[in-house]
Amino acid sequence: MVSKSIAAAVLNEALKTGADYSELFMQDSEFNEVNMIDGRVENASYQRKVGAGVRVLKGTSSAYAYTADTSEQAVMEAARSAAAALNGVKEFESKSFAVRQGSAPYERRFADVRNDERVALLREGSAAAKAYSPEITQVTGKYLDADHRIMVCNSEGVWAEDVRPRTRSFITAVAMKDGEAQTGYVSPGLGMGFEAYRQIDMKQTGEEAARIAVTMLHAPECPSGAVPVVIDGGFGGVILHEACVHSLEATAVGRGNSEFCGKLGQKIASSIVTAVDDGTMKGEWGSITYDDEGTPSQRNVLIEDGILKTYLVDLLGSRRMNGHPLTGSSRRQDYTFAPTSRMTNTFFAPGKDDEEEMIRTMGEGLFAAKMGGGSVNPLTGEFQFAVTEGYWVKDGKIYSPVRGATLIGRGADVLMKIDRIGRRMWLGQGMCGSQSGSIPTNVGQPRIRVSEITVGGKGGAL
Amino acid sequence: MMKFEDFKKAAFDAALEKGCTAAEVLLTDEEQFSVNIQKGEIEDYASAHSFGLNLRVSLNGRDGYAYTELLEEPEQLVERAMDNAGTIESDDDHPMQPACEYVEVKAPECRAMDMTADEKIAYAKQLEEKLLAADPRVLRSETTAVATVRVTKRLHNTLGLAADKTGDLCYSVIVPIMQQGEELKNSVAFRTGDEIFDIDGLVKEGVDGAVEQFNASPVPSGEYKVVLRNNAAADMLAAFSSMFSADACQKGLSLLAGREGQFIASEAVTIMDDPFYAKNPRAFDDEGVPSVTKKVVDKGVLTTLLHNLKTAKKAGVASTSNGGRSSSGPVGVSPSNFYIVEGEKSLDELIAAMQNGLVIFDVSGLHSGLNPVSGDFSLIAKGLLVEDGKAVRSVDQITVAGNFLKLMQSITEVGSDLKMGIPMGAVVGSPSLLIEKLVVSGS
Repeated sequence: MVSKSIAAAVLNEALKTGADYSELFMQDSEFNEVNMIDGRVENASYQRKVGAGVRVLKGTSSAYAYTADTSEQAVMEAARSAAAALNGVKEFESKSFAVRQGSAPYERRFADVRNDERVALLREGSAAAKAYSPEITQVTGKYLDADHRIMVCNSEGVWAEDVRPRTRSFITAVAMKDGEAQTGYVSPGLGMGFEAYRQIDMKQTGEEAARIAVTMLHAPECPSGAVPVVIDGGFGGVILHEACVHSLEATAVGRGNSEFCGKLGQKIASSIVTAVDDGTMKGEWGSITYDDEGTPSQRNVLIEDGILKTYLVDLLGSRRMNGHPLTGSSRRQDYTFAPTSRMTNTFFAPGKDDEEEMIRTMGEGLFAAKMGGGSVNPLTGEFQFAVTEGYWVKDGKIYSPVRGATLIGRGADVLMKIDRIGRRMWLGQGMCGSQSGSIPTNVGQPRIRVSEITVGGKGGAL
Repeated sequence: MMKFEDFKKAAFDAALEKGCTAAEVLLTDEEQFSVNIQKGEIEDYASAHSFGLNLRVSLNGRDGYAYTELLEEPEQLVERAMDNAGTIESDDDHPMQPACEYVEVKAPECRAMDMTADEKIAYAKQLEEKLLAADPRVLRSETTAVATVRVTKRLHNTLGLAADKTGDLCYSVIVPIMQQGEELKNSVAFRTGDEIFDIDGLVKEGVDGAVEQFNASPVPSGEYKVVLRNNAAADMLAAFSSMFSADACQKGLSLLAGREGQFIASEAVTIMDDPFYAKNPRAFDDEGVPSVTKKVVDKGVLTTLLHNLKTAKKAGVASTSNGGRSSSGPVGVSPSNFYIVEGEKSLDELIAAMQNGLVIFDVSGLHSGLNPVSGDFSLIAKGLLVEDGKAVRSVDQITVAGNFLKLMQSITEVGSDLKMGIPMGAVVGSPSLLIEKLVVSGS
């Protein structure tokens, strides 16, 4: 994307006003998207995003300038613009770069995939959803692929290049009856080329989406109250993502805006809890070989047997946190964002408990079979999650499907109240939005049980 | 890199030569500046110039799109767009807007656009100083930022349309963190346009927003009368605004399909979609259709859905000038300035009218806790418990749940305190609303 001599000149230019660190990020990414409605292709689009961003740091001050014009002149101008935010003069010794090259699995490049192959996937998923039940009145499908090519270099002599292929497909089914509508969606994705669809089964994806919509159409409203909750594996891990790990990001901790500040080495979760953020899992949706500061991705054990082991820390966060080691967690959506500490693939490690026993012994409560998204305020730890497929449990038995449930609480409380962790862990895909934009992340967990969470719903007792 | 005019001409020529019946380009050029101050020092500083060109071609009655940020090789982009058009199976005709006349609109002054970077930094430092001095419980501010954005859009097509516009946006935002005893609370407050110079008002709003959360606890689960405060009401209306899209209705993704002419809300509710709204006026939509002001809901009756050229043609009506698109995506439907029209009573009068119930001043989880297809919502909320017309204490850790259409029908009074969101693309606003009944889950 740029020669090493030009990059060095840009980094030098950025340091001229006294920064102690400069960084150049360049990107050339291509995206394809196909949307299908009612079994027919509604639109198809192609995008190419190209640009560069220059970041300078001076202590804990940062400045960022970006441009869609990647000519030498424009990038130099961005460097001057970022530098202008700082004052003073510093000598810079030009260094040679240590080159790092990323390697994600990428057998079938998206540039070589024809649109009819993309359409065929959606057609298979849509047809399966439609065929599931006459109550399915509408099905939408979305196919996405992205070929991100990035380069980041800095005044410490790091030069990292990474290619990050990703693809994801969504099937949403709508079930309608008597003026009521319910939806179900499934959206698998992987961090690899088109070969991902050897692993992703679109027929099953469509059937699953339809099954959820139809089940919820016949479900009464969820009762409310503080009850035991069993959360199934996979996307259920969103509870860890929202209720805990956002509050472990340097973005929150480095500024003192997290309920977990100063808690390293302390017990913050029930002792059966071990939680991991691992960016090195090959071909996974949230994986990266190098982060967006050029630091190698790594497996970070965040919580071990209930004890807080590490935060997720980027360079600026490290400076704010007395030199806390970097965790390979610096990410950004694209060149229009400066990077910051973010998650990759985040999950509760498998435990020792029996998946059936935890329902059998829960008494009355909620089994959240599929979670939707959620959000958290890291300062207070207050979170909220939507349950997209829920079942009310009475006397340890599944009693009825329930719709419209929400889980609310505080992260620190919920972590302490986990009293069962199952043996089989799996992942679910999502997009995580935060300061440095929207990035692909996996969440995951085995089936777990929380002894009490406030369930919000608008139904009466069942 | 090629100039816009040269790239456009080459792309149009190539498209027509290869058999397209029409072609259109949308160039979006954005200049951005923002600075965030922490303890009197620059914490973040960003300056940016970005642009991108979205090409749309019409081939055998079908649209294809391709977007690039590198103005090179126009023919390749045309081929990409044509390949995408060839994939489409929908029979819906999506016409392009031919050349037309527009009325002139005048955007409000935005003095911050003319400030130098140093002046903006000085402004943000002053904002932080005043915030820190406003109340001894203010620990710091998560964010004390000022930002300016200038967006130029150029929409040109082979039917002679050449619609250009430049819009300015400036805003300042604070997120004070306040401590009382062991409790920490934060709150977001912002100002746009020349109102950013109302520093005292902004600081007061931020501080009040955090203070009102202290000493909060849940209320018992049950049904409550609710005053949904203006900002929370606007957040919910924004999240459900896609229900009014004719596109969603035609695709069977909205319960408002086929409901034109029927009561969908209580008689207290009138909803405007006004592209000429003074704080954020526009002469044409993202398809180049001249702006039209309309009542979407008139005293509870749904009078029209929001249409673009495609949905209008399918429905046999005229576009309501609600063509919407991102800089890089296909044309869809989007509101312009979309708001519930004010009533007579102040917030205090609504609270007095409610007598007993809850004031909800914050709802969160809007991206996951609600579903515009079913209209269902279940959201985490914060507010105040009201007894005998007086706020008696703060409430948190509750959820409010319901269905948007049922909520619209149970609005008994609309306040006089219309509040609009940040004017970035679609702007949604609402006054505070008195609601007969919402289900609350708490202790």
